[in-house]
Order: sequence, then C-alpha cells, then structure tokens
Amino acid sequence: MISKEIATKVLSAALRTGGDLAEIYVEDRTSLSMRLEESKLESAVRGADRGAGLRVLFGNLAAYAYTDDLSEDSLLAAARAAAAAASGSSKTQSIDLTSRPSPLEFPVLKPFDSLKVAEKAQMLHRMDETARGYNPHVSQVIAGYGELRRRVWIFNSEGLHVKDERNIVEVRAMVLAQKNGVIQRASQGFGGQMGLELFDDNNPQALSRDLAEAAVKMLDARPSPAGEMTVVINSGWGGVLFHEACGHAMEADFVSKGSSAYTNMLGKRVASPLITAVDDGTIPGRRGSLRFDDDGTPSSRTVLIQDGILKEYMWDLVEARRMKRESTGNGRRQSFRHMPIPRMTNTYIAAGPHDPQEIIRSVKNGLYVKRLGGGQADIAKGDFVFTVTEGYLIEDGKLTTPVRGATLMGNGPEVLAEIDMVGTDFALDPGMGMCGKGQSARVSVGQPTIRIPRLTVGGTDEAVTER
Amino acid sequence: MNYLELAQDVVRRAAARGVEAEAIIIDEQETLIRVDRGQVEQLSQSGSKGLGVRVIDGGRVGYAYTSDFSTESVKETWQAAIELARVATPDEHRALPDPQPIPGEDLEIWDPDLPGISTEEKVALAKEVEEAALAYDPRVAMTDHCTYQDGISHVYLANSRGFAGAYDRTVAVSYVTGIGRDEGGQTADHGLGVSNFFRDLDPQAIGREAGQRAVQILGGQPVKTQKATVVFDPMVTGEILGYLSMALTAEAMQRGRSFLIGKMGQEVGADIVSLLDNGRLKRGLASAPFDGEGVPTSASRLIDEGVLQNVIYDSYTARKDGAASTGNAQRGSHRSLPSLGPSNFYLQPGSLSHKEIIAGVERGFYVTRIMQTGGTDPITGDCSMGASGLWIENGQLTRPVSGVTVATTLPDLLQNIVVVGDDLRVVPFMGVIGAPTIRVEGVTIGGTK
Repeated sequence: MISKEIATKVLSAALRTGGDLAEIYVEDRTSLSMRLEESKLESAVRGADRGAGLRVLFGNLAAYAYTDDLSEDSLLAAARAAAAAASGSSKTQSIDLTSRPSPLEFPVLKPFDSLKVAEKAQMLHRMDETARGYNPHVSQVIAGYGELRRRVWIFNSEGLHVKDERNIVEVRAMVLAQKNGVIQRASQGFGGQMGLELFDDNNPQALSRDLAEAAVKMLDARPSPAGEMTVVINSGWGGVLFHEACGHAMEADFVSKGSSAYTNMLGKRVASPLITAVDDGTIPGRRGSLRFDDDGTPSSRTVLIQDGILKEYMWDLVEARRMKRESTGNGRRQSFRHMPIPRMTNTYIAAGPHDPQEIIRSVKNGLYVKRLGGGQADIAKGDFVFTVTEGYLIEDGKLTTPVRGATLMGNGPEVLAEIDMVGTDFALDPGMGMCGKGQSARVSVGQPTIRIPRLTVGGTDEAVTER
Repeated sequence: MNYLELAQDVVRRAAARGVEAEAIIIDEQETLIRVDRGQVEQLSQSGSKGLGVRVIDGGRVGYAYTSDFSTESVKETWQAAIELARVATPDEHRALPDPQPIPGEDLEIWDPDLPGISTEEKVALAKEVEEAALAYDPRVAMTDHCTYQDGISHVYLANSRGFAGAYDRTVAVSYVTGIGRDEGGQTADHGLGVSNFFRDLDPQAIGREAGQRAVQILGGQPVKTQKATVVFDPMVTGEILGYLSMALTAEAMQRGRSFLIGKMGQEVGADIVSLLDNGRLKRGLASAPFDGEGVPTSASRLIDEGVLQNVIYDSYTARKDGAASTGNAQRGSHRSLPSLGPSNFYLQPGSLSHKEIIAGVERGFYVTRIMQTGGTDPITGDCSMGASGLWIENGQLTRPVSGVTVATTLPDLLQNIVVVGDDLRVVPFMGVIGAPTIRVEGVTIGGTK
C-alpha cells in the first residue's frame, strides 16, 4: 500500500522531535453486510475504509495522528502532527526496514466472491423460513450476514515491516416467539477467520432452527429465582465469563497501573487447581487470531493460569517496553483511528477431569446455564454480571423448568478459586464474540462445562430460595 | 466542489440511473487526551471524513460507503449501492422523504470557542480532573482512563427529492474512573461531564464525582434476599431508560420487538411518569436541525402521565403507519444506514431532591452503580442487574452494599415508580438520556440467604 522508501521518510519525520519509536499502521478494509427482518432482505451494505495511523512514543507519552489519505504529503503531515507532541531533537538513527513473514497460515479456501451476493441473501431467507416453519409462535426473525477483509501493514523505526490479512465471515440470528402477551427471544451466531468454507461445517438453517426452539421453549419459562445457588455453565460460549470476569484483569494496562485484582500475583495461586487458562492468538480459523498483532508483534500462545497458579499477563508493545520485557502479541486496535491497547485474542479454560453429565447430576438444587448473553465486569473489584438467555433449574440432578430474567452476579477471583468441577467437554465458542474496551475487537472464548458451588442469581422470584 | 455540492453531485449521478438516492458526508476532527499521574499518556489529534450513499430502487435499499473521495472511488461507491439494491426485497414503504422546511432557530449545538482552544488548555483540564478525583478523599488510591475528548463535526446531506442541508456540531467530554482502596479491597466508579460547549465542563465536579462514587461503596457487603424499596440515582436511572427507550420506537412496535406492543392509549405507568423525546432541545447532545434523512427534528411526549401516547418515527415506519416522521432517523456515522432511535430522551423530572427522596425511605437500597449488559430487555421486559450502593434505614444512608442483584420487570418498574426527583442529568448511555433520581417499590434484591 505504501513503499518502503516512503515509510522510511515518514518514520524519520516522525522522530524529528526526539521520539523513541515511530510507527506507521496502514489499514485497508472492505466489507459486505446484509440484514433480514420481517422476511425481507432489508439492506445490503458495502464499505471501504482506508487510512494510516502515525504513532510516536516519547518515554511514557504516546502521540498519535491518523489520516484517511495515504499520499506521501498527507502521511508526512500526520507524522509532523504526532511529532509535535514533544519538542526535543532527533536522536538520529538509521531506519532499515526488513520485511518479516509470519509462520502462521490462516488460509482462505473459498474466497468471499465464490458466492454471489444474491446467494448470500438467499441463505438469510432460508434461515427465516426455517425458523418460522418450526413453530407458529415464532413471531419475528432477524438474520444477518457479514464479511470483512482487513489488511494491515506495520512499519516502525526499529526496522519492523510486517503485513497481516484478516478475513472474517459471520452469520447471526435472533428469533422472537410470542404467546399470550409473553415475548421471548434467542440469539446467536457463528463465524470464523476464513473464507466461505465456514459453511462446510456450519449450517445457517440449523442455527435458526435451534434459536426458534430455544425461544419457544422460553415462552413457558418461569421467573428466575433470586439468591445464592449452585450454577453449572455450559461449555463453549460460557467461557465468556472467564474472559470478562478474569481475563480483562490480566491485561497488562490494568495490571501495571495497579487497578487490577491480579497485580503482583504472578506465581501465586489465583484459581482452583482444576483451572488452566490460556490466551492463544495463533489458532487457525478463529476470529481472535492474528499473524501479527496491531503493534507488529507475532501472535503467541500464552498460558495465563497453570493448574491454578498465575503464570503470565497479556502484554502489548507499550506496556512491555515500560517493563523492559517482551510483548506477548496482545496489542490490538479497532482501526487505524485508534492506538493499540492490550486485548485478549482467543481465551479459554482448558478441559478438566469431570464427565459433564455427572456435573449436572451432582447438583440437588441449582441453575443450569445453557446460553449466556452479554456480561460486564468491574476490573478493580472483580465483580461481574451476566445475563442468562437460556437457563433451566436443576432439581435432584435433572434439568427441569426453564427460567427467564436471570442474571449471574459474582466476583471473578473468588469464583475462579471456588470452581469445583471442570468437564472433559472442552469447546471453543461458535465464533461471534465481540469485546468492548473503549474499542471493539473480535475475540473467541471457550471452556468445558463448569460447576460453581455458590453464585448469586438475580431474578424476581424471591420465594424459591426459601426452600 | 465543497462537500454539500459533492453530496448533491453524487445524488444527481446516481439518480440519473433511475433510482432514488441520498448522500451523506461527515467530516470530523477529534482530539483525545489521556493523563495518568499528572503526565500526558496519550495525545491524539486528527481528522477524517466519509461518504455514505443510500439508493432506493423500487422499494429496495442498497448502501455503500467510502473514506476515499477520489472521483473513481466515489463513483464505485454509488454504483455499488445501486448494484446491492438488486438483492434486497421490495417494500412499498421504502422511499426517501420529501424535503420540508427546516426551522432556522439556533439549537446551540456549536461551540464557536472549541476550534480555538489550545491543546495545552485541554491537557490542563484533564489533569485537573485527575487531581480533583485524588483530592476528594485519601482512600481514592488512583484514577484510571482520565480522559478529555472532543469532536468537531460537519454534516452534509442531500437527496434526489431536492433536500440539501448542512450543520455543524461540537461536543466535549471528560471522564475518569476513581479507584477507591482500603484494607477491605478496591472499588471503582466514574465521574463524567459532557456538553456541546467546552466551558460547560467542570473539571472539579467531574473528578470529585468519581472519587465520591468510588469511595462511598468501599467495604460493601451483600444484604439478604428480599423485596424492597429501591432508589436509583440518575446515572443508574439513565442506564435503565437507555434500554427502555428502544421499546418506544415505531419499529419495535411494528415488528413485535417491544414489551409495550398493543398498549397504545393505555396506562402503562404511574401518573408521575412522563417520557419525552426532543430532537430540538437547546444544548441537547442529540439535537440537530434535521435527522439522518433530512426530516426536521421534533419533540414528542411518548408516555404522558403514565399513558402510552406516541412512539417515535422515521420516514419508513411513519409511511407504514400512515403517520408523520418525528425526525428520529439517527446516523451514527457515514458507515451506517439511517436507523430509528431516540434523540434527547428523558424522564420528566419531579420536585424532590435526591436527599429528600432518601429521607422519605424507611428501609431500602440506594443504588449508585449497576452492571447489566443485556439484563434490561426492551423486548421481553425483563429487568435484572448487579448493583452496589448504600443501605437506607429511617431515611438515613447507613452502610455500603455490593455483590447483590436487583430485579423487576419493565412493566412493573413503570407502574411502581412512586417518586421522581428534580436532579435531571444527561447520561450518554445507549443514546442521550436525561434521568433524575427515582424511587421504585417492590424490587427484588438477590443476596444472601
């Protein structure tokens, strides 16, 4: 997108006021998205977005400027704007850009254009028909398709010159069911970092049928009980709980500031010995994977917790330089308009020793969470809250009545220490995770079935806990 | 060619192919400053622009956008929109709105000072916010994300029915997270100030708020599971209203995505509950002379003294209902199609201060912080969240509470609001929400046995 010669010139200009490191992040993104509701393909949108971000580091200060014009003049102007944050003089160094390939292969077997736009639209119509055909109580279907091709080129004054290409495909749906004035909903999606071979193993109609079934089932749900109880969380997407409640607090910015509950805890026991947790940005096909992160650092697999002991945090370039150590390749940014920050990639709890059926059978009175919705965590205190979008009571070791309006509330570090059963059924999520931390990023999560002996459940029915 | 002329030119060229066309150009400059321990940690100042083209061809919609304004890229963009419209399903109600006169009143959304305010002055403001947070109480151990941010945007919109308009808007915001710490542990909460006008930001108040909110919940413990009176502070009320507002759109009603479907004209809340939307509010963060498709903005009373009277409309949902658009087509950026949503949405304030409200509660929970991604659901009406705050006994704030949930349903919430406070403030959460303190009866608190 821009030549080595221009990059070198721009980096030199950016260092003119005494910066320690200058970087150019060039991004070219093209996208297609479609949305169906009311059985109508309502819109199809194509987007093109291109630009560059110029970053200059002066000690602990990061100065940034971006432009949507990739001409040499415009890049030089952005370099001067970022350089203007300081007024020192150049510590002249020669910049020798050496391009570096990635050992990781994230193949695209079936390119996005191997299906016509109209064929992708037809897929959404079929999802709609399947869900509506499942049951007359299905009252609305929203289905969406998205594809994104994001290419990035990163150059820095220490000679870094890398390229990454991230191809994302995703399908989402929400199904509403309605009966006697009650409305329930179920939503989910799937996706990956790949081409249209995504559909070789994932059937959009099976997704919409599953959602129709869940929404209809929830019509007969009773209000969730409130209070403390034993909670069993399903494998796969359930891993979002670890992501929110513990993962963020292991990101280097929160840790080095001291606002995280995990600050100064390396080598200490932070979880049940059943827990091993990993952040792995190198898994082919996963939406959180990167060949290089948005600082240009090769992506890696980082064991965060090994058998309950905290082993490592997730680092980006800025935080790693501050601590004079290596980055783990967790620097990510939403676009060229943003500075990178430490972020998770694909984060999961590894498989444990317990039979998942046995975990459910072990609970006399509790809640089984089949589908979790969104969640939020307070880094400082470690508290988290999650919405249960599909949950069932466990009575005498069996799943019984579906419950509505449940939230889970707990403290991440406490829950991690208390988890007392971890299933053998490890799975990654279906691939629709989006994480917000001021900037949005695509992530994956995963876990086996887990049992938390005591968690606060929020609901409107206070009586149930008296039993 | 200036940007309005460029938008008109795009519309002319696309319309020449026999479709209806609309073009929006948004040109923005942004500043972001983040300070930590008295030092600038991040400083970003930049501008960017974008063009979005909506085409309607026989009731079928196509949309494309680009940040590249070269002749070739602009042409590819409107051609892509025409091409994409072919895959959409025809809908007779999809059409562009006819131009209407735009009232010329000054909505006070442009701060003429902001473009001239120096980076140094903005940095000084952010530093003062941090200092004020730390100075509030020795237990404020540190701050996080101490930020000043502003935006200067110029919006240009044209359509093939002859609409052409432009306006300028400024916004300045500063926020900080206060981290409270004592022997019992850590807490965090935020301070926030936001306005169209730089000089409205009060760094002392923003910092103090973060410190106070974080420290007051230090040492919080759960209470027993019970039904109780709950007082929500304005930040909390605002978060709940943000989700609730999504149930009051014509789209949610027409598509069965609202817990209020079939309730038009009926009493859905206590008579002290009036919910309003006003796109022409002076100094409203969401105010604009016209909406995302060129329709003049307006004010609507949605729930009036407890009775559901109106919903908000864009031109599509209005055509479907045989109504008039209320000018509520929102446009987050040039990357998105106009979408129906509230502008400045608020609960009409009452006359009691938050102190008077608390003084009137014999036993209850004053909630100052919630966590609830998705727990308040405008479709199902569920309303359940994690909460922290202070316990009230005999009208006095007693001990901090945390680690509990509070749950009700949105229909019950609207019915059980018994007092609305006078302390309306703007909460930019899921839109621009104006929220006062409220007292609600019969809320379930989930805590210990």
